[in-house]
Amino acid sequence: MNAVHTAVGHSFERLDAAEKVTGEARYVDDLYRPGMLHGAVLGSTHAHARIRAYSLEAAFTIPGVAAIVTGEDFQVPRAGAFCKDEVPLARGKTIYLGEPVAAIAANDPEIAWRAARAIEINYEPLPSVLSIDEALAGDAPLVHEDLAKYVKIAPSFSQGNVLWQCRVEEGDIGSAWAQCDVVVEDVFETAAQHHMYMEPCGALAEVDRSGRLTIWSSCQSVHLVQQRVAESLAIPMGRIRALAPKIGGGFGGKGGLHVQHLAAALALKTGRPVKMVLSRVEDFEMVRSRHPARIVMKTGARRDGKLFAREASILLDGGAYADESPAVLSFAVLMARGPYRIAHLRSRGSVVYTNKLKASAFRGFGNPQVTFAGESQIDQIAKKLGIHPVELRLLNAVDAGDRWAGGQTLPACGLRECLTRLRGAVEAAPPLPSAAPQRHRGIGYSAFSHISGLLSTACNIYLRSDGSVAVNTGVVDIGQGSDTVLTQICADALMLTPDRISFASPDSDSSPWNWKTAASRVTYMAGRVVLAASIEVRDKILRQAAEIMECAVEDLEIRPGGVVGLKGVGGQSIGFGQIASHAISRLGGPIMGASSLLFDGERMDPKRALVEGFAFGNIGAYTFGAQAVEAEVDEVTGAVRVLRVWSAHDVGRAINPRMVEGQIQGGFVQGMGYALTEEMQWDESGRLTNPTLMDYKVPTALDAPLEINPIIVEHAEPSGPFGAKGVGEPGLIGAAASIGNAIANATRKRVYRLPMTPERVLDALIGKSG
Amino acid sequence: MTDALDVTLMINGERRALRVAPFETLLTSLRDRLGLTAAKRGCNQGVCGACSVLIDGRPARACLSVTANCVDQEITTVEGLSAPLELSPLQDAMVRAGAIQCGFCTPGMLIALTALLHESPHPTRDDIRTAISSNICRCTGYQKIVEAVADMLDASAA
Amino acid sequence: MLHRPESLGEAVGLLTGDADIKPLAGGASLVAMLNARLVEPSALVSLARVKELQGSNELPDRTLRLGAMMRHRELAERTTLTGPQRVLQRAARAIANPTIRAMGTIGGSIALADPGADYPPALVALSAAIELVGSAGTRLVRAVDFFVDWYTTVLAPDELVTAIHLQPVGAGAGVYHKLARVAGDFAIASVAVVLLDGGRARAVIGACGPRPLSLAEADAELARGNVAAAGAMLAEAADPVDDSRASANYRRRVIPRMLARAFVEASEQMHSS
Repeated sequence: MNAVHTAVGHSFERLDAAEKVTGEARYVDDLYRPGMLHGAVLGSTHAHARIRAYSLEAAFTIPGVAAIVTGEDFQVPRAGAFCKDEVPLARGKTIYLGEPVAAIAANDPEIAWRAARAIEINYEPLPSVLSIDEALAGDAPLVHEDLAKYVKIAPSFSQGNVLWQCRVEEGDIGSAWAQCDVVVEDVFETAAQHHMYMEPCGALAEVDRSGRLTIWSSCQSVHLVQQRVAESLAIPMGRIRALAPKIGGGFGGKGGLHVQHLAAALALKTGRPVKMVLSRVEDFEMVRSRHPARIVMKTGARRDGKLFAREASILLDGGAYADESPAVLSFAVLMARGPYRIAHLRSRGSVVYTNKLKASAFRGFGNPQVTFAGESQIDQIAKKLGIHPVELRLLNAVDAGDRWAGGQTLPACGLRECLTRLRGAVEAAPPLPSAAPQRHRGIGYSAFSHISGLLSTACNIYLRSDGSVAVNTGVVDIGQGSDTVLTQICADALMLTPDRISFASPDSDSSPWNWKTAASRVTYMAGRVVLAASIEVRDKILRQAAEIMECAVEDLEIRPGGVVGLKGVGGQSIGFGQIASHAISRLGGPIMGASSLLFDGERMDPKRALVEGFAFGNIGAYTFGAQAVEAEVDEVTGAVRVLRVWSAHDVGRAINPRMVEGQIQGGFVQGMGYALTEEMQWDESGRLTNPTLMDYKVPTALDAPLEINPIIVEHAEPSGPFGAKGVGEPGLIGAAASIGNAIANATRKRVYRLPMTPERVLDALIGKSG
Repeated sequence: MTDALDVTLMINGERRALRVAPFETLLTSLRDRLGLTAAKRGCNQGVCGACSVLIDGRPARACLSVTANCVDQEITTVEGLSAPLELSPLQDAMVRAGAIQCGFCTPGMLIALTALLHESPHPTRDDIRTAISSNICRCTGYQKIVEAVADMLDASAA
Repeated sequence: MLHRPESLGEAVGLLTGDADIKPLAGGASLVAMLNARLVEPSALVSLARVKELQGSNELPDRTLRLGAMMRHRELAERTTLTGPQRVLQRAARAIANPTIRAMGTIGGSIALADPGADYPPALVALSAAIELVGSAGTRLVRAVDFFVDWYTTVLAPDELVTAIHLQPVGAGAGVYHKLARVAGDFAIASVAVVLLDGGRARAVIGACGPRPLSLAEADAELARGNVAAAGAMLAEAADPVDDSRASANYRRRVIPRMLARAFVEASEQMHSS
């Protein structure tokens, strides 16, 4: 790239900052359409039950009720991204308490709510399974009796309540343990976390006279909304236009359908717009969660600090529907080795069905669970060997040219620099004032890897007759700032300032395909196609200019400010506007660029590793990070406070450094919640007992650390746009391990279960009966 | 509505007349009746803070305020914090510090911070953190929100 | 129907005869319950304009009378509450967050009697009295008798909390400690410790049972300096539950540990005053 980097690397202000800070930004619940009805959802009252009959008469006697749909109104085959097990509304039976069983449209939200409760459903309860152990018991009731008949997109073992299994093995784990001088083996357990985006899920669906639906929804992909609503309603995709208003956070929870298809079905039935926004309680009960996990982790090392073997046995509780569980499992299995050169690896796992809310994509996607386990063990081994935890990691860290588990080569790797700069920052930090009596301080570390390349995306760019540029990618900005970052990439390629570039709001009618905003993939994947399309536009600009100026293309260059001139000759130049106009009216037609990409990184190597049941086609663009946490443990109560954090991340290239910092800081605090306070809890009837913000607690400003010091490391990713790759998830991934290690460093006691509540910490400190 | 009330509210310096249900909350009235959608519904339980407004200058949860009970009070929403096409110094500071990501908590944060700055023109970082402990943010980890205010105060002190 | 009476008599009159008519104070709890459909009142009586409930005054016997509509924020900033009465100021400071403290009132809070709330242990520690007014007249109830059970007080349906009475106390110390999952949450467990000149002590445990917990025997041990014994008695007598915040077992274990710490701080406060 010979572009002058004027935008990339600068912390431009977000494009949408002004509208958000004035309250003008419109999220789905801020949209109102003439004649709009309000939708409500009714959840089931049994964890597992046959639905014998519906009685809607009482509901329809309430004035103002316009339409009701139940599972019987959706006679479509089961759907699902990996295993087709899902129905649009519970049909025939309900398999988790709170599962949507009916949807209602009425004149106002109050009427819709009352009508929902007036629906009578005849349930025949069935025995349920509410935990991994119950699901795996020999005579366990089956959540999906027809599992064997479901279509799966990749082969995997599926039987009973086991939805999917996955395995990666390298080397010779059987003989490896005997060669280790120190071996640690523990069982780690993690809980269900909820995304708790600030904006609850919602959709507004409107149908026109031709039967075409427009759906605004809080989502992570307009294309997936279009595709999956079409599937649910058995209508052609072209009859649906999916749009994204401003999105109030997603974190993975809005990557699949929530209520879009219900609002759409009610709009079709009534002929009127229907807005359906979940209450916070319903959002907790009806959408998706992070997978609870039980991981048996075993790590072996030699006396000199070299890690030699790792074995991970992972059990994930997937809840009632598959959704993205096969992929989460696969990713957990893939990441369980950690960012180290470990020759002998056996990583395998299963995800099971239970009669609870489905678990699926959530920032980290299986990696936080295995990182908690694996990185706890790294600090343990460091302690046993008397080696500094950063030093031990440096001794074993992967580097450029090494391979990930499964055999993919790492073209670039800034992990060592992350670790070195991290250590430097921690050591240089001024000490805090001494701890109060009975408080113990410690520092804990973690290192981790993640990916940013996955599936496909595309971009269209058009040069306007005034020389400004319109970019259209279909990427939904869910709050992380992708609109701005992608604009900066285009700006640099064309040497324009960002204000000369407009970034289209995603619209399934006109935006090219983007899988979704997830997997920390947008800067890398969409960035690549924005860059490629921009370069195509640039090349066409130069060719058109050559025609106008009657010279050779090779003699011309683009200059900042949207002009083209002769190389080495100052002054004489023509502007992009003139070039665009010339093309439009005189020669060749409007100047456009297009690029389309399916992740094309190196695949896994079957000669090197045994890989079975892997749900992804191809995945890569590995990123790296290392984190340190200084925490304080109160020996009286077991309460833990995180005081300071340092978090170093190799992002290849920081397109917008301030935004990268924001992702790191926000990711850490969400990870801190996962580590210390957040746990979805179910009772023995399968009811979620804490579906409110009174009962499910996320960190406040007074809980967040005083400092989260982001350290940006840049080892250019050769295939990345300007070398960039993603950072959306990594801030969260190491948090639980870093905090757990800090607790262990402070108290010499370790907690093996998340969240590390005061009770669990106190149990570790003084025993359960101390 | 069978037993609707006609009320007049003082909002952002303007008298607004509207018809409300007896126990309707200020959040519903602002959003659904007056089109003032800056105040958001994040939980409807008063915990998240996204619905915050100022009532007689003090921070309040619109979701916990009964509209008919607010008729003799001065209500300020985010829409009233700056003139059209302008940003207040606080809003500008939030933008420049990168303190906004998804933006859903932002209106509530502005209310909490505006109340803080009225009461305490030279708040410490601890004061800022305490003020915004009334508002949940899931995106930023709070760091740049505190920085935004601290930077703004440093700049005006310099 | 939302009523907005301007006098206490009018307010009480509106509440009389229909238990489905509820008083509305700051709204911090009641409107949240309304939104969650946990209550469905037929009417509300707003206390916002009832002058008799505002402000505070000192009675002839130097009892400090705090009006029921006093907001948490005002109490939290009330540095004139010194010595033992600081326990109340610190309890108010521990409630929720600044915005809720600007809305909620002491009358509304104690009328709800949420066992995880912060005022009850502080009020019992101070031997405060609650002034109630109803159609049958005015009565004064000791705080310890006011809180009966989970979300249950001695309030009759037509009675309102009108004021809190804090008896005059001499020098001493007042400490309130709260353990919660995150800042502003309801307590997992809380401890209010008051030490008075002359060696008297009072320890009250909050959030570990249906009502604030205090024992004369434990107070006696505390006065003798036997903190561990006091803590053991209170832990034994506590009746905590398992809930989303913590287990009953943990609450029982943490009571004596928190009491010890609170007592140390109270003693230090005593010596430095």
